[in-house]
Amino acid sequence: MGEVIVKLSEVDTIYEGEHLPAIKGINLEIRQGEMVSIVGPNGSGKTTLLETVNGLLKVSRGEVRVFNVDMSRDPMRARKNIGYVPQDFISDHSVPFLAQDVVLMGRYGKLGLLQNPRKVDFEIAKEAMRLVGVEEFAHRPIGKLSGGEQQKVMIARTIAQEPKLLLLDEPFSNLDIDSRKEISEKICRLHEENNWTTIVVTHDLFSIPKRCNRVLVMDRGKIVAEEDPESVMCSVKSLTGFYRGLRQ
Amino acid sequence: MIPLPLQIILTAITASILAGITCSLIGVFVVHMKLSSIGFCMSHAAFAGAALGLLLAVDPLLSALLFSTLVAFILGPISEKARLSPGVIIGIMFSLTIGLGFIFLNFAPGVAATQQALSILWGSIFSVTFDDLILLGLLTFFIVFLLTLFFKEFQALMFSRKLAEASGINTSVFYFLILFLAGVTVAFSLKLVGGLLVFALIVNPASSALQFIYDLKKVLVASPIIGAITCLLGFLLSLLLDFPVGSSIIIVSSFIFGLSVVLSPKRRRG
Ligand SMILES: Nc1ncnc2c1ncn2[C@@H]1O[C@H](COP(=O)(O)OP(=O)(O)OP(=O)(O)O)[C@@H](O)[C@H]1O
Ligand SMILES: [Mg+2]
Repeated sequence: MGEVIVKLSEVDTIYEGEHLPAIKGINLEIRQGEMVSIVGPNGSGKTTLLETVNGLLKVSRGEVRVFNVDMSRDPMRARKNIGYVPQDFISDHSVPFLAQDVVLMGRYGKLGLLQNPRKVDFEIAKEAMRLVGVEEFAHRPIGKLSGGEQQKVMIARTIAQEPKLLLLDEPFSNLDIDSRKEISEKICRLHEENNWTTIVVTHDLFSIPKRCNRVLVMDRGKIVAEEDPESVMCSVKSLTGFYRGLRQ
Repeated sequence: MIPLPLQIILTAITASILAGITCSLIGVFVVHMKLSSIGFCMSHAAFAGAALGLLLAVDPLLSALLFSTLVAFILGPISEKARLSPGVIIGIMFSLTIGLGFIFLNFAPGVAATQQALSILWGSIFSVTFDDLILLGLLTFFIVFLLTLFFKEFQALMFSRKLAEASGINTSVFYFLILFLAGVTVAFSLKLVGGLLVFALIVNPASSALQFIYDLKKVLVASPIIGAITCLLGFLLSLLLDFPVGSSIIIVSSFIFGLSVVLSPKRRRG
């Protein structure tokens, strides 16, 4: 396994205006090339953990290092190489952005100030759209696409970013069964080809990618178990049973 | 209609066009970044500031500028963190600034001041001087220049501040730049449209353009064109009917907005 890409030590994250941490005492090391799934019931802190990793949420205790950079010091440089697909990101129907604009925007962070998108950027964006099968929507306003179509555009946007670390928060929640399988497989392929490091959050145990190395189970703000994917899939007959077992 | 010297007419026409352009350019961001409540408060703060300027016998433009940018920088961080709802901000700030404005006007000395006071409230295009025109022109140039230079960043910020931040774009600078420019634009357009109505000039043309167009670049072209036409038509209307110019501009822009809502494909079903 490669070098450590993500390292969290004794991390607590408290939302502004709250008293209790949403995640607490998190210790986690993820190495280059790993694909890690995070599962857990609603409100267990999965989204909070992802946004702590890319520094959108400030830690109140402990330290987050990504690409060996302290995320509370200099998050911007690291973020150019972190792709993030947020949970349920739905655009209002009237926003003045075409799907292709949104995908191209994935490139903006890397381009930096005063650098306009070049021909290669447009090509990379186009290729990303082709990959997830949204090129036919390229000229349509993002807000007029269906939830699943918008989700695919957001995935294309992240692929266009060419990240080294990929954070996916329920990326398939709105996709139909076929698209789910297809896009999940494509992401796995890209993950391997580009030696990405990938964290996938899901609360559907059955959409854990087969390729994944580890499954972290979260409950009430803590990582309560670490499993290998087969054992999760085999030992668990139903989601509720699994989570109920956790809480006892 | 009273015959007017050509120079005054030309100054007035140029001022209307420039104010129409700047207001409606900034308006695109104010409308889509949910800054409407801040913009609204800013325009009334500018009114209060200008009134204070009259009272203290300093240039009303300067004091208006000070007040409106001050409000931007107080309310910006508050609404950024969503600590107060926009409704609350409007409720408190609107009454406070209007109240202050009228107190200042009340104590402003002399008849000349009363005349000026009215123009701060309702706008008076003929009080626009050549110097004002130059300043307005510089502001227009400055805004167009910044929007062209940092189009990418503004676009990303407008789509989603969170996603822009997550992909490594430092949005705070640009967020506050927009607020600052909105404050300056409000102060500069005060003489033309008046403190009570300037906000409508920021919101209406941009909202009209956004009814039809989904491509930000095109919105940023269409909105100032609509704004400039609105101001010109409003100016002509006020000449013809002897209305206050601010009111005429707002009547025209509301009419255009109403028309665009009726015709908008965005509101049609199916
Ligand atoms: N903006 C916020 N302010 C305060 N508390 C929050 C905020 N967002 C989330 N929380 C709290 O933090 C905890 C973890 O939330 P989080 O969104 O990380 O859960 P999750 O595991 O992603 O859930 P889901 O499966 O529903 O997406 C929850 O108890 C939630 O109430
Ligand atoms: Mg979540």
